[in-house]
Amino acid sequence: MQATQTAGVAQAMETIVSKVLILEERETERAHIRAFCVAHQLVPLRAQVDSVLAVLKSNLDLGAIFLANHFAGDPGGGLLMARRIHAVRPELPIYLRCGTRAEIDAMSDADARCVSASYTLETIDSLGDEIARTLFNLRYPSALVRGIGEITHAALSSQFNGLEIDVERPYVVKDRLIYGEISTLIPIEGSWCRGYMMLQADELDLMQTVRAERTHMQASGAADFRNLNALLGELTNLIWGAFKNRFINGRSQAVYAGQVPIVINHLHRYISFGSDNPQLCFQYVLRDPSDTSRIVKIHQRFVFNLSWSPEDFSENTQTLDALVDSGELELF
Amino acid sequence: MAQVLVVDDSSTVRNEVGDFLKNAGLSVALAVDGKDGLGKLQADPAIKLVVCDVNMPNMDGLTMAERVRSDLGNSTVNIIMLTTENSPAMKERGKAAGIKGWIVKPFNGDAVLATFKKLAGA
Repeated sequence: MQATQTAGVAQAMETIVSKVLILEERETERAHIRAFCVAHQLVPLRAQVDSVLAVLKSNLDLGAIFLANHFAGDPGGGLLMARRIHAVRPELPIYLRCGTRAEIDAMSDADARCVSASYTLETIDSLGDEIARTLFNLRYPSALVRGIGEITHAALSSQFNGLEIDVERPYVVKDRLIYGEISTLIPIEGSWCRGYMMLQADELDLMQTVRAERTHMQASGAADFRNLNALLGELTNLIWGAFKNRFINGRSQAVYAGQVPIVINHLHRYISFGSDNPQLCFQYVLRDPSDTSRIVKIHQRFVFNLSWSPEDFSENTQTLDALVDSGELELF
Repeated sequence: MAQVLVVDDSSTVRNEVGDFLKNAGLSVALAVDGKDGLGKLQADPAIKLVVCDVNMPNMDGLTMAERVRSDLGNSTVNIIMLTTENSPAMKERGKAAGIKGWIVKPFNGDAVLATFKKLAGA
């Protein structure tokens, strides 16, 4: 059963957003910031003062943090928090709201380096350019974003039986946290892009799905983690193949195709591709209609860290027209 | 003794395709890559149909198809590629190696079962 239709996928793909954490205790200021966020494709999230660092360790897939300098009852509490956040999550831009211009000017160089931009409520609009530069600096063609959702939905439908699949709105993140326990990584190479696709999932969620006989595996195979690896691996293979068939016209013509090390820190569940660019993310939520507690989330990230030329992007319409429907046998 | 050999590095695909064909009454052998596939094919002359992935470690499916003809001298076994690849250049290479057909994943057993049975001599 494929409950979510392609039209629904397309509708969800229209706008790329980014989630931001609002650390602001004053109601009026928070409302002002929320309005700014809505106007700039940002999805505001809140956290309690005493749980900020714990929240940062969770997989919120954040793009940035809006922080008030007057925080946790302390007029300079925001800067203290900025230092702590910057120490553990330097990839996350911090926008610090100060009460006055004088507060901004009084900031030390060391503190200024912890924050990406400082502003007052009166000058919040000046953050628009900063957000465009740091969060939305890579332009993703709508046909690409919509197509990724469609091909991934089709791949999920082929590997999971009888689950409802929701494609959530795509978003960009600065976060580098790895979701779940199982991750796959596969190169994406073309004339207009070079980078990687990652899929990430929670092992227990996948295990329960296999046990419930919602995959092509026997339920008894759920206990072996290698089978769960294979499940996510085949899903990756299907998406990768469909991506190439639809969007890649041929290998890059570059004579020298450079690489950079990919660094993984298991302790911090952190992966770096050597680029500060935001990553394009999708989340797919698979629900079992017969057991609403059974949910699988698949996180998908595209990291075009090596080359990105969206002006050269094109969809292989000729190939699509001539494409034999998936699953059909083309005899020679 | 098997009628069909399924060659894929993904255990998910081996299970899916293998179980489907077994349930359809065919005897099935499994291989994890092209190298393994060549060995299984050499050891079992009863195999009439090979369903084979393209991208695999150790030996890819197209190389395996070429070596079935060149190294094993087996010109009668039917080879069908089951892959995410859809490039004309790869298909041409497959045709030159004498493969019988090409399926773009995901696998839809019902759509191909009758042809598979015929090619497997069932």
